[in-house]
Amino acid sequence: MLPTLAVHNLTIEYAARRGAVQAVRNVTFDVRRGEVLSLIGESGSGKTTFGLGVMRLLPTTARIRHGTLIYRRDQASEPVDVLKLNGRALREFRWKQVAMVFQSALNSFNPVLRISDQFADTARAHGYLQGNHLAQRAAQLFERVRLDPERVWRAFPHELSGGMRQRVMIALALLLEPRLLILDEPTTALDVLTQRNIMDVLKELRHQLDFALLFISHDLSLAADIADRVATMYAGKIVEIGDVFTIFQSPRHPYTLGLIRAVPTLTGDRKDLTSIPGSPPDLIDLPTGCKFHPRCPLADARCRREEPELEDLGNGHQVACWNWGIA
Amino acid sequence: MTTLRAFIIELGKTLKLLSRNRVAFLGLIILVLLILVSYVGPWLWPAETRSNLAEIYQGPSLKHPLGTDFQGQDNLLQIIHGGRVILEIAFITGILTTLIAVTLGALSAFIGGTFDSVMTELINVWLTIPQFPLLAILATMLKVSDVWLLAVILALLDWPGLARQVRAQVLSLKKRDYIEAAITLDLGTPHIIFREILPNMMSYIAISLIFATIGAIYQQTGLVFLGLVPLSGANWGVMLSLAYNRGAVYTSDAIMNVLSPVGAIALLQLSLVWLARGLEEVFNPRLRTSV
Amino acid sequence: MSVTTARPSFSIFVLGERILSNYLLQSVLKSLFTIWLVTTLIFFVIRLMPGNPVDIFVQDLLLKGLTYEDAQTQAASMLGVRLDRPLHEQYLEFLGNLLQGDLGKSYISRNVPVAQMIVQRLPWSVFSIGTALLISFALGILLGMIVAYKRNSWLDHLLTNLAAAMDALPSYLIAILLILLLSTVFKIVPVTMTRGAVSPGIPPGFTLEFFVDVLQHYALLAFVYVLSRTGSWMLTMKSSTMSTLGEDYVTAAKARGLPEGRIITAYVGRNASLPLVTRLALSIGFVVGGSVIIESIFVYPGIGLLLSQALYSRDYPVMQGVFLVTTIAVVLSNFVADLLYGWLDPRIRIAGEAK
Repeated sequence: MLPTLAVHNLTIEYAARRGAVQAVRNVTFDVRRGEVLSLIGESGSGKTTFGLGVMRLLPTTARIRHGTLIYRRDQASEPVDVLKLNGRALREFRWKQVAMVFQSALNSFNPVLRISDQFADTARAHGYLQGNHLAQRAAQLFERVRLDPERVWRAFPHELSGGMRQRVMIALALLLEPRLLILDEPTTALDVLTQRNIMDVLKELRHQLDFALLFISHDLSLAADIADRVATMYAGKIVEIGDVFTIFQSPRHPYTLGLIRAVPTLTGDRKDLTSIPGSPPDLIDLPTGCKFHPRCPLADARCRREEPELEDLGNGHQVACWNWGIA
Repeated sequence: MTTLRAFIIELGKTLKLLSRNRVAFLGLIILVLLILVSYVGPWLWPAETRSNLAEIYQGPSLKHPLGTDFQGQDNLLQIIHGGRVILEIAFITGILTTLIAVTLGALSAFIGGTFDSVMTELINVWLTIPQFPLLAILATMLKVSDVWLLAVILALLDWPGLARQVRAQVLSLKKRDYIEAAITLDLGTPHIIFREILPNMMSYIAISLIFATIGAIYQQTGLVFLGLVPLSGANWGVMLSLAYNRGAVYTSDAIMNVLSPVGAIALLQLSLVWLARGLEEVFNPRLRTSV
Repeated sequence: MSVTTARPSFSIFVLGERILSNYLLQSVLKSLFTIWLVTTLIFFVIRLMPGNPVDIFVQDLLLKGLTYEDAQTQAASMLGVRLDRPLHEQYLEFLGNLLQGDLGKSYISRNVPVAQMIVQRLPWSVFSIGTALLISFALGILLGMIVAYKRNSWLDHLLTNLAAAMDALPSYLIAILLILLLSTVFKIVPVTMTRGAVSPGIPPGFTLEFFVDVLQHYALLAFVYVLSRTGSWMLTMKSSTMSTLGEDYVTAAKARGLPEGRIITAYVGRNASLPLVTRLALSIGFVVGGSVIIESIFVYPGIGLLLSQALYSRDYPVMQGVFLVTTIAVVLSNFVADLLYGWLDPRIRIAGEAK
């Protein structure tokens, strides 16, 4: 099956006075039709930049050095070269094909317009339903995300709680029936209960509706909850990718292993908790070889010299590490 | 001594950063030049005492680089002598205004409660009163000719506007963690205000001082121009007022007599503004235009 | 067994609380209080300052040979109060007159009521300074947004520096410079157009000739005002727009594929201009006072010139009257500005009602 989004060798840089910030480096992977792929990484790993890159919403200081992003709505559709879209075509692409919900949509709504107006703006921009039809469709979506349309439709954004706003944003994201939904840290600024609520809503939605979900987060436990596949990202590169069970039961990259060990489980022993020593690298002045080697317990001379590429271990499991056998 | 050394080092750093902004640096140089000319100039080039009717309203020449006025006296000489009073009043007012505004504004924000409410209401009421008309009326009734008195009156009228801004700044600083820590540690109000809050506002205060000075120049020259302040003697504002009242604005020959003080005042204001904006950029990196 | 006394569902305290918690009513009361405060202030300031104009007035009349009683009577009719009565009685009489719209009579123009003079001059100030204010505001908002969008371009550098320069220069300097350049040096504008509101000899009325004449006299004054003021609006709008452009909801709007035009107006424009709109409302209040210096330079018959002339001739009733009217206008515009902001920014609206 052809993937919804095929990413190949994508490299994104920011211009800074000291030099170029290499935020995304030669990233290659697919988002398959209808799957939930979780992209996990620390802050500064490049995951948000990647998401913005797909939407072509990078700031002016950013440059896409090279790579391709090919999007397919369905098996039979024409593939779309996302990086070559411009003007009208780009506007039509956004939200209708791929929608992105930013970090805890707390400030993603225009404070002076009602929710209904913002839905109407979106609908009008894409030649979609208007007026009552729109209100009815919105009401259906609100019900799917467990919101009361009466409470929400005519409200101003600040009248809604953070969790409600997030769910309204998800409903809005699904308005035009996109094939790919990108969620960037959807629950980070919310309390645990609201977090749970939203995760439940997302799990329901993915079964009810036909879209692929790229779930970007730093929280591995959330990924475990909802993902089909997990990809870990470090210093702008995908270092491991595979289905969720394999990743959690037999991770092969030391970084992934470190992330798993750093998250406490309800039944785990306290002494099993370890954190990864050191701190993320300077993206302008990256170390040689494997970028993780300064913090890696398995690092050897080869790791310091050469940067490993993703190696196929079978069953869709890929690792970028020279010493994956030891891990 | 170490605080002095630290201050000089900070000053040096600030100047270096400022030099990146060409306009601001130009402003600084012009300001320094104007101050030098106004203070050292009169000493080097004494004023004329007699009028020279043969040379009325002459244009620029080698003998009179800026031409002459209605009495035949040299314009450039008058410009050299006319800056000191203006600068003095402006800086005194600026310092007084800033002192009052910072103290009251910071105290008000910090102490809060009734004191703050009363202060805020007072400031609000004060700001609804049209400042220049009030100033004009006061000047008329008091017939101010003393430099210090004028400066005090201007400062008393100007401080509320600045105080409101200072208060807002302090309020936002108050929420910062290190201030909350200081409050919890019960370090004492004066200590917190003068050792924790104000040093972090130094840059803001410096810029406010410059803007207060600009405002004072506007006000004093306005009053002099309208003839409401019986200041006489060497003064750009007086020079302008005299020229204007003799219709120099409408006489092509007398242009230099008008342009000289206008140019001088304009240069002073511009240099101050450019300097202030440059300092704003230095202290608030987000405003900088380079990455 | 407990006895519960039924509390009255309505009491004077509840009513009081309801009144005080209503934001609107609070605003009205505050405005009235401010007006009262300022009128009281000016009354006492004039009476108690050294160089008390009332006493000088009386002394003046005494020098002219009137008896003390006659001097008092004339002073009373001029200033609208009886002077031999104790101060607080004078004050109450003053307030009484005020509420009836009696601002006293002019010293210079004998027996002309101050209120009448003000009403005569007001339209000119409002017309000239008022329209110029609106023009500079609109221009400022437009340029501010353009410059914010084209940040760091040559246009940005040019306009921003120009705006900062214009903002720094006192308005009268700009006025003098322009008159000098346009009228005296380059002779583009005839001298007659730099003075007065109309040319003598053209009868006022709804004729084209009259309108053209009015506009010609208005043009340079308005130009000076616009030049002087637009910079400040533009700079504020620029910074407001820049910070709005950085907001998440603008990026989110782009993510939804909204057309640039809609984003500029409803998402960026509306939010960025919010702080300016209240400033505009406040400025309108100050328009009533005209501009003392500019109107003097252009000899434009507005309130500003009236005040200027009153200052020269020590015409205290007029000074007092103008000052009062201007302050009341500013207080009113303050009030309107508060309301306006509440209406425009839904976040405040709800907070105010919830109080």
